[in-house]
Amino acid sequence: MPQNEYIERHRKLHGRRLDYEERKRKREAREPHKRAERARTLRGLKAKLYNKQRRNEKIQMKKKIKAHEEKQVKRKQDKVEEGALPVYLLDRDVQSNAKVLSNMIKQKRKEKAGKWDVPIPKVRAQSDAEVFKVIKTGKTRRKAWKRMVTKICYVGEGFTRKPPKFERFIRPMALRFNKAHVTHPELKATFCLPIIGVKKNPSSQMYTSLGVITKGTVVEVNVSELGMVTQAGKVVWGKYAQVTNNPENDGCINAVLLV
Amino acid sequence: MVLYNFKKIAVVPTSKDFIDFTLSKTQRRTPCVVHKHYKISRIRGFYMRKIRFTQQNFHDRLSQIIQEFPKLDNVHPFYADLMNVLYDKDHYKIALGQLNHARHLIDNVGKDYLRLLKFGDSLYRCKQLKRAALGRMATIMKRQASNLEYLEQVRQHLARLPSIDPYTRTIIICGFPNVGKSSFINKITRAEVEVQPYAFTTKSLYVGHTDYKYLRWQVIDTPGILDHPLDERNVIEMQAVTALAHLRAIVLYFLDPSGQCGHSISEQMSLFNSIKPLFNNKPVLVVANKSDVVRIEDISEEDKELLKPLEENNIPLLSMSTLSEEGVSEVKLQACEALLAYRIENKAQTKKLDGILNRLHVAIPKPRDDKERLPFIPDSVWIKKLAKTKAAANQEVEMDEDEEEEEDEENAPKLGKKKKKKTERDIEMEMGDDYILDLKKNYDLPDEYKYDIIPEIWEGHNIADYIDPEIFKKLEELEKEENIRDEAGYYATPKIELDSTIEDIKKLAAQIRERKEIMKQESRIAATTKPKLPRTSTASARERSVSRLKSEMARIGVDIDEKAKDANYKRTRGRSRSLSKPGLKRMRLNSAGDSRSMSRAPRDKSGVKDPETRLKLKKIAHKAIAKKVGKMGLKGEADRFIGTKMPKHLFSGKRGIGKTQRR
Repeated sequence: MPQNEYIERHRKLHGRRLDYEERKRKREAREPHKRAERARTLRGLKAKLYNKQRRNEKIQMKKKIKAHEEKQVKRKQDKVEEGALPVYLLDRDVQSNAKVLSNMIKQKRKEKAGKWDVPIPKVRAQSDAEVFKVIKTGKTRRKAWKRMVTKICYVGEGFTRKPPKFERFIRPMALRFNKAHVTHPELKATFCLPIIGVKKNPSSQMYTSLGVITKGTVVEVNVSELGMVTQAGKVVWGKYAQVTNNPENDGCINAVLLV
Repeated sequence: MVLYNFKKIAVVPTSKDFIDFTLSKTQRRTPCVVHKHYKISRIRGFYMRKIRFTQQNFHDRLSQIIQEFPKLDNVHPFYADLMNVLYDKDHYKIALGQLNHARHLIDNVGKDYLRLLKFGDSLYRCKQLKRAALGRMATIMKRQASNLEYLEQVRQHLARLPSIDPYTRTIIICGFPNVGKSSFINKITRAEVEVQPYAFTTKSLYVGHTDYKYLRWQVIDTPGILDHPLDERNVIEMQAVTALAHLRAIVLYFLDPSGQCGHSISEQMSLFNSIKPLFNNKPVLVVANKSDVVRIEDISEEDKELLKPLEENNIPLLSMSTLSEEGVSEVKLQACEALLAYRIENKAQTKKLDGILNRLHVAIPKPRDDKERLPFIPDSVWIKKLAKTKAAANQEVEMDEDEEEEEDEENAPKLGKKKKKKTERDIEMEMGDDYILDLKKNYDLPDEYKYDIIPEIWEGHNIADYIDPEIFKKLEELEKEENIRDEAGYYATPKIELDSTIEDIKKLAAQIRERKEIMKQESRIAATTKPKLPRTSTASARERSVSRLKSEMARIGVDIDEKAKDANYKRTRGRSRSLSKPGLKRMRLNSAGDSRSMSRAPRDKSGVKDPETRLKLKKIAHKAIAKKVGKMGLKGEADRFIGTKMPKHLFSGKRGIGKTQRR
């Protein structure tokens, strides 16, 4: 009954096959040919994947070779000047007051104008036909005054549906989102934050009021978890973010924080 | 009884393989053609199916992994502890727990995206949603990479663990490293444990099996243990400790009185004392190995002093040498006996035994007085018994004499001694190469019949079934009877005189019989209902005719009167033809003659020069037609029947490989 490290034991007792080394060497020698054959015969998606993987391998290989070569070469090091700041102390307390002031003024101007310097300035307009689906009502399905929203929307917490007779717009439960993946452009980090409201949908004022979220929409998110502080020292809890993806296609909302 | 088989756990793929398998399975096993002009519900269904299928596959595979790995709470504590020592319980549980969580997440992703897909309004959107869903599932699996890798390693190690049955009769061997534990297990079982002259050659538990009293004994070899506190022990030592702690077995503690292992007897005894708590409620044997170097009796007085406490605690001390194999089997024997006794004792204490014992009842009656009541033995039996004993005594005497005078053998039967039968073996020894095995000489038959050849089966009958011991008597009786009958003229056949008339009748009868037979065969041929495909032969002529009737009747000898008025055979149908004369041909008046319409020449005559070629051509044509007709089973030249005009298989479905006419 084989138990524990029986393979190693067998090797220790009886050794490997006599032609083991030779076979191994030959197999290794054959490898490039096999790879070439594979690269030649693959088609379509598999070829694409294979080539990508192979490219990565080659890059790694080249990096490694370079690293080895660099090890052997001796580099001359520059002399450090007296009183130079070490790297980890750079960028400390260098923000001047003037910069703060100018930033503040800029912010105020922007708010007045109601315009934002957004990452995606131009967005394709969404037509009504795209956003709404006409729902036929009435006994003979003749009436067509009802609409169903087919894009992702944000619906406030306290929302209660109207009685069906008067409900002009239906926002299905499946399409209601209340969280967004928000990226902080400076921190280069992404957080899953709750949405507070839809600030503006560039396509139409009606979409904004309905809470339709499409690409380019500016939403307000709850950033209290990030612990951001205003110049005055107050904790910021609501900030705007622009949606950068097509949520209806991806099933999630990605946004960039507008700082 | 629970037996653990950790070898059956399926391979745990790496996360990359996991994703590749599942996605390619989705690709292979779900439909892959969809067009944007399809009805939107169909497009949605197409992509929903893909998401659901992928999610289900991930789910199933993960469930299988979670289920197959043993639950630490459910396995025997020995295994639970061993796995804790080897793989770290926390790590193991977290790995499985995270897989479980991943499964849950994947299910949720699947659910969410199916909901979103219900509102997909174009192929593009549906496809993007599917893509996002599969991507998220793959990401979740990617995060499990380290867990999967760990579990795969655990699986490989688990499969190589010796299959130890924690409930069976077990002998555990323990002691310092290098005291000869592995060489002992190699001696008494077929386990091939590596033996080397350095410490910690054995790094894990090994199991071997041995037989004693027709029972199977499990022998476990443990790695050596050093004498230090439990929390300082390493993984190798801890394996030995778990085995000692959880298996109900006899423990053989190995001592090396020679000190070749690098530890003195005092050290070895202190280890024994420190691991003593593990021997609680277990039989223990102390074995002094390497008796070929130093015998246990030869050790110094101080060392003997150290071994004293063993005697006081009733722990037997045995000595043996695995090198010279001296005392090895005694150790095994004693260990087995001790364990057997211990197990029986244990069983006797359990409640189960009471149930069985209650069913047994041995009644011992109380003596009512002092009278002795012996069993009754008839006198005849006594006499027989006496005779037997006497004969036996005589034989003994005879045997003594036998040694003195051997030539007296002929007289032996007279003296009451049984003559020894000459066996076939003796004969064979006597004759040597000339010997032929002859079993027939012992048959209970007269000598003349002994060597008759008797078949076992004759004409399909088993001879043995027909053996009748009284056959000769019966035969004799029968013969007698026959004789009497014969004499009485019972068998004499009366002579019949043949005259000419009877001979004629016989002849006629023979003729009739022959004719009948022919007719029977003919009718049989005619009556076949099977299809006759080839029509190469000419149509059979009408068989019944007046002339034939006449000739046949004449042959039999019946004269048929042709002129008889009311003979029914005569009334044959005449050919209908007008009896009036054809009109006479008018004389041609003008020499040139009027242009007369000529009927078109028959097709077989048109364009043919002379009747000879016509005949020839006719023959050729006839042959060709007959060939075609015969081959295709047509009714005739004009038969252009086509069985099925539009065979279903040629006109339905997509046109795949093949031609229009043949697929």
